[in-house]
Amino acid sequence: MAQTMAEKLLSRHNLAGAPACAGDIIEARIDGAMCHYHAAEPMHDLALQAGFKDGLPRVWDPDRVFVLLDHHQPTLSQAQADKNALMRREVERLGIQCFHDAEPGISHQMMADYGLMRPGELVVGNDSHTISYGALNAGGAGITRADMMFVLLFGELWFQVPQSVKVILDGRQPNYPIAKDIILYLAGKYGDDFAGSMSIEYAGSLVPELSIDSRMCLSAHGVEVGAKFALFPFDERTREFLKQRTDKPYTPIAADADALYEKEIRLNVDEMPFVVARPHQFGNVCPVDDVAGTRIDQAQIGSCANGRYEDIEIAARMLKGRKVAKGVRFLISPASQQVYLQCLKAGLIEPLVEAGAQVITPGCGICQPKVGFLSDGEVCITATTRNFKGRKGSQKADIYLGGPLTVTAAAVAGQIANPREVFDEL
Amino acid sequence: MSFDLDRVLKGRVWKFGDSIETDAINPYYQYPTMDEMKQHTLETYRPEFAREVKAGDILVAGRNFGCGSSRPGLVLREVGIAAIVVESAARLFLRNSIARAMPIFLAPGITGIVNEGETLEVDYAAGEVRNPATGARVNLRKFPPLIERILKSGGLPEFARERYLAEAKAELAGNRQ
Repeated sequence: MAQTMAEKLLSRHNLAGAPACAGDIIEARIDGAMCHYHAAEPMHDLALQAGFKDGLPRVWDPDRVFVLLDHHQPTLSQAQADKNALMRREVERLGIQCFHDAEPGISHQMMADYGLMRPGELVVGNDSHTISYGALNAGGAGITRADMMFVLLFGELWFQVPQSVKVILDGRQPNYPIAKDIILYLAGKYGDDFAGSMSIEYAGSLVPELSIDSRMCLSAHGVEVGAKFALFPFDERTREFLKQRTDKPYTPIAADADALYEKEIRLNVDEMPFVVARPHQFGNVCPVDDVAGTRIDQAQIGSCANGRYEDIEIAARMLKGRKVAKGVRFLISPASQQVYLQCLKAGLIEPLVEAGAQVITPGCGICQPKVGFLSDGEVCITATTRNFKGRKGSQKADIYLGGPLTVTAAAVAGQIANPREVFDEL
Repeated sequence: MSFDLDRVLKGRVWKFGDSIETDAINPYYQYPTMDEMKQHTLETYRPEFAREVKAGDILVAGRNFGCGSSRPGLVLREVGIAAIVVESAARLFLRNSIARAMPIFLAPGITGIVNEGETLEVDYAAGEVRNPATGARVNLRKFPPLIERILKSGGLPEFARERYLAEAKAELAGNRQ
């Protein structure tokens, strides 16, 4: 029977050895387990709760567990420092080999930077944005901390094989990133759960033109539209990206030509306006022109959605010879040390700082109220993952989501604006 | 903590809208401890909720309940919510509820049969949710056998330990032979 990418992926990993069809509940073999700063819960707290009095008795395969103490480095609180110390002890006790401890950055970007997941693998993580690995044709899926405890013990986990939605993207890649606009536009048009519990498969003539950075933005945001997987086809770009990062073999997955999809969505990006999500939900989307003139206090670029090279490059390119508007706090956080280094070597950091932007340590803090709080009545436009009420502190602050170009335009104008009206070279 | 799937749950309804996010359920940014979160859960939508919710109340919500992060809704059980009945749930919230044996029920049409403050009956064995005042009812989705087993074990960590011990015992018996 013809299969979708998700059916192929889960058939390959089905412990029962049978083909997996949408709707089936299966127990799957796990290729990799990503644990970030919550790792102490599955390794320690939940193990104790379940009755293991000395913590988790083992991990099923110490070479397939990746622990990255990301999110908040340097540690921002005593509690976090104490939790990290506990995790260091647990990692050593359990014999886990891959441990990124003293390195700020977002776990998902580091998983890509260091080639820790590969096409065709089923890789789970105790973070919702683990879904971003789909950009590299890997079955990345966020799971819960209790799920992770089960995975760490057995290297297995139950899944319901998802229905699939095919998102066909046509049109041309302009000379600036548009991935954020694409996913916001889709969420606005089809709802913030249009892929609820489903697997997104990206296809169409735009896909080969999309950079790995753009694909990771689209895949990471799969969770903002409810998805279980958000998968890109394997192509030359994927191969090239991985060649420099892993020498382990892999077998990509591809859908059968006549696979069955729950729905198909088409978008020609040439006809898509710049869009933003208004407060306080991801799907509350409108063309940027509808809210142009909204005064801003803070602008941000970063996170597992938009903290990559191309997001920072467009900001640097546009800021060259310009200034951030007086009074606007423009925060930029590279997604990882490797991304930061790439930006430094390319000379992107100097024009950012010269223009008045603040470059902050890689990590998740920019996407949460950890770095750069908002006060009552303040407005922020951000290329990060979420705009829920209180996401940046005050419940009485407004957060808009936009692409890195739209955010940079707002930072220069001091108000939300169409990038074409701020940057005449576009 | 396990819960009995066969017991009919009956309680007063708190009704919420669509796409209620885990940040609102767990406002851990401002209130990092469970004791603090219990006083502030869902205040983004209903400032009086945490103050007025009573043990045994039932939370009804629209589609995509628990969207956002991979954080669980344990705080809702802590404040006394006996069941969560929704049109649909975000997958990680559903996984969390299963893995932590929280009573969550998917009942498409639920928001159309019950109003705020009314009483609702959740009858998993019969596969339906009822509004006894009006007689209206909608079907709830039964869980597959594996999920029912996890719920009966008291959650996935407990289920994992049962399996680990059983395998260790079998291995020991194998070694003796």
